[in-house]
Amino acid sequence: MTSAMQDGLLAAGAALLQAGGLLALAPLLKTVIKKMKARLQNRQGPPLLQGYYDLAKLLRKEPVRSDVASWVYVAGPRAYFAAAVAATTLVPVVFAAAPLESAGGILLLVGALAFGRFALATAALDTGSPFGGMGASRDMTIAALAEPALMLGLFASALAAGSMNLGVLVRTLVQEGVTRHPADILAFAGIFMIVIAETGRIPVDNPATHLELTMIHEAMVLEYAGPDLALVEWASAVKELLYFTLLVDLFLPVGIATSTAPAALLVGIVAWVGKVFVLAIAVTIVESTNAKLRLFRVPELVSISLGLAFLALAIRFL
Amino acid sequence: MDGLVAVGVPLALAIRLVSVVATLMLVRHARACRWVALGASIAASVVTAAVAVHVIGSTSSIDGTLFRHAASETVLGYSVTPLSAWFLTTLSLIAVPVALYSTGYFAHAIAPPRMAAVGAALNAMVGGLEVVFVADGVIAFLCGWEVMTLATAALVATEHESRASRRAAYLFLVMSHVGTGCLLAGFLILGSVAGSLSFAVILSGHVVSGSMRSGVFALFFIGFGVKAGLIPFHVWLPEAHPAAPSSVSAFMSAVLITAGIYGLFKVCAFGLGPPDVNWALAFMSLGTLSAILGVLYALTQTDIKRLLAYSTIENSGIMALGLGAAMMALAHGRHTLATVAVAASLMHVLNHAIFKSLLFLGAGSVVMATGTRHIEHFGGLMRRMPWTGLWFLIGALAISGLPLLNGFPSEWLTFQALLQGFTSTPGLVRLNFPLTAALLALTSALAAACFVRAFGISFLALPRSPAASEAHESPAVMLVPLGFLATLCVVLGLFPGFVLRALGGVTASLPGLQPPAAMMWGGLGMSSALTSFDHVAPVMFGLAFVGGLIGSAALTGRRAVAVRQAPTWGCGGELTPRSEYTATAFSKPVLMIFGAVYRPTRQVDAVAEVSPYFVHEIRYRAEIEPTFERYLYRPLLRGVVRMAGGMKVLQAGSLHAYLAYVLVLAVILLMWLGGTT
Repeated sequence: MTSAMQDGLLAAGAALLQAGGLLALAPLLKTVIKKMKARLQNRQGPPLLQGYYDLAKLLRKEPVRSDVASWVYVAGPRAYFAAAVAATTLVPVVFAAAPLESAGGILLLVGALAFGRFALATAALDTGSPFGGMGASRDMTIAALAEPALMLGLFASALAAGSMNLGVLVRTLVQEGVTRHPADILAFAGIFMIVIAETGRIPVDNPATHLELTMIHEAMVLEYAGPDLALVEWASAVKELLYFTLLVDLFLPVGIATSTAPAALLVGIVAWVGKVFVLAIAVTIVESTNAKLRLFRVPELVSISLGLAFLALAIRFL
Repeated sequence: MDGLVAVGVPLALAIRLVSVVATLMLVRHARACRWVALGASIAASVVTAAVAVHVIGSTSSIDGTLFRHAASETVLGYSVTPLSAWFLTTLSLIAVPVALYSTGYFAHAIAPPRMAAVGAALNAMVGGLEVVFVADGVIAFLCGWEVMTLATAALVATEHESRASRRAAYLFLVMSHVGTGCLLAGFLILGSVAGSLSFAVILSGHVVSGSMRSGVFALFFIGFGVKAGLIPFHVWLPEAHPAAPSSVSAFMSAVLITAGIYGLFKVCAFGLGPPDVNWALAFMSLGTLSAILGVLYALTQTDIKRLLAYSTIENSGIMALGLGAAMMALAHGRHTLATVAVAASLMHVLNHAIFKSLLFLGAGSVVMATGTRHIEHFGGLMRRMPWTGLWFLIGALAISGLPLLNGFPSEWLTFQALLQGFTSTPGLVRLNFPLTAALLALTSALAAACFVRAFGISFLALPRSPAASEAHESPAVMLVPLGFLATLCVVLGLFPGFVLRALGGVTASLPGLQPPAAMMWGGLGMSSALTSFDHVAPVMFGLAFVGGLIGSAALTGRRAVAVRQAPTWGCGGELTPRSEYTATAFSKPVLMIFGAVYRPTRQVDAVAEVSPYFVHEIRYRAEIEPTFERYLYRPLLRGVVRMAGGMKVLQAGSLHAYLAYVLVLAVILLMWLGGTT
């Protein structure tokens, strides 16, 4: 067996493992945030495994589809899911390398998530329900505004490390120690705001609402049921976990494993879980202390983020 | 094979010329006309492709003579350089499927008495364009340029009963000739200084210098910018491209605009010596402006062909900004970076040609099937036209710059150029790069929104008009070219490394660029100058994506449960096409957010007959402000008309006055000549 083949098999194995791991943990993250939100409101909240129960229930249900829709409606959730799963292999999680690092870096990651969004928004138009169109329109609009801010924030961090590849970037950050620059705070704040917008959280979207006038993501997937809905929900959860991991990688890669020694990997796992949990707390606090913005106030929020990212670039390099 | 390559260019042009004559002679036999014109176009394109591929492979130019007149010592030569070959490859790659599609499309869409004119004009247009790409001197270049322009104008005016078509053709002619005038002036200045009209002499980069050089640059920038459809020289494009028959529109949008890009490459970037920083800034800023405004205007169009035309402006802008980044790099002496940027721009020329012709041809099929260009009257076509729908969807994914398809690699390379530009150029001016990158990100995200809308509203859900509910799938001869182009979108999207490899020789042949060793490529992917900076292998991502698809199938497809079909909830009423979200509504949030750009006006009138509380009918009219037409061209036009009015005094229509002018002129000439001898 040649070494190239060995490398390939190793990468494929790592990719499977990482995708499987993130898929397995993503529903938990959603439930944890729900639970913490509930506790802040003096409610009990769902049990920690509720996310899994929901998915299991949906997957067992009879698929119901609109009689208006074509195959695009069926393909949408599958492409959305596949794009999210494929994107997980581009990001270092507990080990300072991404399984499919040689496939591409930040630009491919952003492109992969955009692919999923395109698929879901297109499929949402297929039932003829006005809600699907409304959700697709709003989702694509907000994504279009968020994309330059996200890119600029990512560029600010990537250019500092001299690489657009997440694996190289994280290794550079770890090897050089955490030499932090004030620009990082700005870039972090900028990207964090975009993560809030992209994951459909308050103040941009409300994951708990089904009120016609305010929903965005939920309007888009309103007509889905059963296994189709399970795929969408699951992929959205994976996407959220992925964004959190990205933030952690770029701004606080402390503890990430640089060798395959079991102890280092264990530290890596614990550090990653801890950091993601801290971010989850931050998101919970943001969600609990803010009101949802009107749709046409969202551009202001996004432009603040864009401004922060641009400032980060400017003070870092000028 | 070598023999064919040596005479390929004159042979291809001869085939086109003969077919033009033959088509015009067969004017009464529409069917024969169609086959002669389109068959000749395919044959000539294949010959051209053979030459172009040979030149790209061997990276050495092929020179020869097109026309020789011994008595006057006129020789018009051609020279297929690697750069020409790249554009010729793009041309023939698109011309073949376009011609094949047209064999089916023209039979339905063109009235028989006009077939001869359309067929002849098509071959004249493509032939003219070929001459433009291979000309080695000013005369041949301008002849080709003019033939191409006039033939295109004829094609735009195909449906000359409609006022809109005539107006579009007229606007196209006027704008094109403003451009040609600028080119003529530029070439004459260069020619008179150098004392030659050969490109090898006047584009050597040492002919003019100083402010003269910048003036010449400006002339060429406007001249080629008009053809490339860069904002603010774009006003003709959204009128002319939709007016032509759809397969011709496809060729115009995909290939004809690259005549402008080719000129910008050959003359502005690499023909006038090392570029100035200000030129690079002009390129980058107008490129970015075209990209962003192009997509914003595309997003609000409800005419599918106008939408695609505006998106052409956007993509032309992306090509120009890539070239601008290259010029900025050259101005700072960063040759590797310039190579990346040029490769990005040239790769986008090819990729855009493929997906834009795919989308235009797909739109042509839809327009033919429904008899309208209005998106709000489509809907539900995925069921009626499944193959057209599938190919259009692939084109829509590609043009949105999404991975796995061919829009992604060229945008990826453009981002590489912009990001490396930021790290490797000095001074404040480099802040342009991340700003441009952010706007490019905005552009591609808006393009995604635009094509979710264009595809979703046209092909999905319920038919929105009786015509759409009775649409029929196009014949196979129109579907095969679409399938071919869609396959190219996927293949070039998965294996961009091969395209970059082919581009290696092209970039190496341009002055000031590094040999291709600076860039990496391979079957698996490509990387920009530094592998550690970034690299991409879409095919690996494709495997991961397929893995995800398999996973989703495993999750949902375990049990053979029958899928239950149920009606969509109609919000308490019956679900009709009228309750669907419209294209106008889809783009409304963007319209409101970018209100400062669009400056929309709308007027809602409630018509009541009996009492104002019982509204009988609501009339709604919405418009976005045509900024450039209103604030740039209208004052300009007014100035020209006023000047012409002033000149009218001279041309009073009195024979006596004219005789007096002749006399005065003769006297002045005699005095002047007498004074000099």
